[in-house]
Amino acid sequence: MIGFLNGLLVTIKAGFRRPVTAQYPDPEKRLKIESRFMGFPSLTWDYQIEEPYCTGCMVCVRECPTECMSAKMKDNPLFSEGKSRRKKIIDEFEINLGRCILCGICVEVCNFDAIEMSHEHELSKRARNGNRFDLQQLLDLGIKFQSDTKWEPKQPEKNSGVPVKKINQNEDK
Amino acid sequence: MNFTQLFTYSSYVFGLFLSLTIMVLFLTWFERKALARFQMRMGPMRVGFHGTLQPIADAIKLISKEDILPAWADKLVYWFAPIIVFVPAFLVWVTIPFGKNMVLRSLDLGLFFIVAVSVLSILGLIMAGWGSANKYAVLGGLRAAGQLISYEIPLIMAILAIAILNQSLNLVEIVDSQVNIPNLFIQPLGLVLFFIAGLAELGRTPFDIHHAESEVVGGPFVEYSGAHWSVFYLSEYINTFTIGILTVLLFLGGWHWPNIPFSGNLQITLSVLVVLFKTMVVIGVIFWIRATYPRLRIDQLMSFGWKMLIPMAFINVTITASVLYYNLSLWILSIISIILLILCIFIIQRKFLINNEINTIKLISTKSLLDEKNEFELN
Repeated sequence: MIGFLNGLLVTIKAGFRRPVTAQYPDPEKRLKIESRFMGFPSLTWDYQIEEPYCTGCMVCVRECPTECMSAKMKDNPLFSEGKSRRKKIIDEFEINLGRCILCGICVEVCNFDAIEMSHEHELSKRARNGNRFDLQQLLDLGIKFQSDTKWEPKQPEKNSGVPVKKINQNEDK
Repeated sequence: MNFTQLFTYSSYVFGLFLSLTIMVLFLTWFERKALARFQMRMGPMRVGFHGTLQPIADAIKLISKEDILPAWADKLVYWFAPIIVFVPAFLVWVTIPFGKNMVLRSLDLGLFFIVAVSVLSILGLIMAGWGSANKYAVLGGLRAAGQLISYEIPLIMAILAIAILNQSLNLVEIVDSQVNIPNLFIQPLGLVLFFIAGLAELGRTPFDIHHAESEVVGGPFVEYSGAHWSVFYLSEYINTFTIGILTVLLFLGGWHWPNIPFSGNLQITLSVLVVLFKTMVVIGVIFWIRATYPRLRIDQLMSFGWKMLIPMAFINVTITASVLYYNLSLWILSIISIILLILCIFIIQRKFLINNEINTIKLISTKSLLDEKNEFELN
């Protein structure tokens, strides 16, 4: 009997506590996404040269366990003009985000800091192939991620696209 | 009966129906909100301000659903059961006052009428169970019948004690005789008995074994859908409101206590508000209990009803009658009542009522079986 009354006490105590529910449908009342959150992969943008970091080396495509990516490279027009260090640049890139399992292998494997797990995680689409993201959409995700987290490349010297003056290099040697 | 009379009567009925329906819509919202708060959730939030329009959306959804008739169902019984459950729940309100001078017919046998009419809904539940041609439904209907009939007795006895105490069966007179002291202080045992038996009559949570989802998948209402199911739902919530308001009128002093100082229309409006507020508090307690306790087993339910509530209800009636017969002070009655209440708690605490030999399943090991067999062979 005293146990019964104790039970009532427990529920009334819970009744005066604040609800723990987060109101997901309201954009302001959602839970904050942590900066370490791993969402879908996205391509990063090099603001120094105004081109993507990705050179289309196909490492991520080969390593992807679900084979959800495809990429194609081309000769970089900015390289021939002498504005960029990258000889090749990405031409077409497609990730089927419906197949992606968010394992992050593509990010680990990338030598050019070109692919990064973004904060995007809400991907319900009305079109049948709406979650096949092409290069521009992936870059948009990446740019949003970069501005949200103030992203910096992990190896800035190696991967910067600023062209190196060959004469100076030869002089140093 | 001339035309104007007919018009007034039908407007009474329509007004009562409308106000009860609005009350039920509010109660569904209130229940969901209260339960959500007890579980640290928010409950309905999206439709209207804090989900206030949710019950209307639910009602529209229920009405627009398809009415399904099972192939083997007894058609007439099946379609009439919701009406037979609903009519008594509605009819009771003819004589229930919900404020000063706010009563359709102040019957002299008001309480008797309420008890007599509300029993009819058991028939509707059995009809629903039988008509559905579903084993779960039949089982649920029979469970409902057993539970409601056995808890009807303590309910009636608690009401009877109140009638003896206040020398009337008229609800308005009962409320008026509580101007100074509400019956709560004279008969705390009666309040507890009435409230518990009322909970069982409603089929609310500790006693909701007749529509237990995990055992009889919704009881008599398994096969019903759409508007007919919503009629059951409606009558269930009207019954909840009835028990709440009866508790207020019989034990908590109705619109008296605290006395309302004004006069005229203002007093009547305030009295309605006071009664509604008290009723909401009682219904809040019902929801609180629902948020707390699990469902009873059927043997626990029956043993609690027959070994605990019914004897206590009879003792309550006897003591009330004898105190009034010998013209003793009412304080003696309230002291005896409190002593009996403590005795009840003591009995439940010591588990005198539970016969463990009968009620628990013995674990039989293979070794003991073999022993028995050997003994049998030796003999």
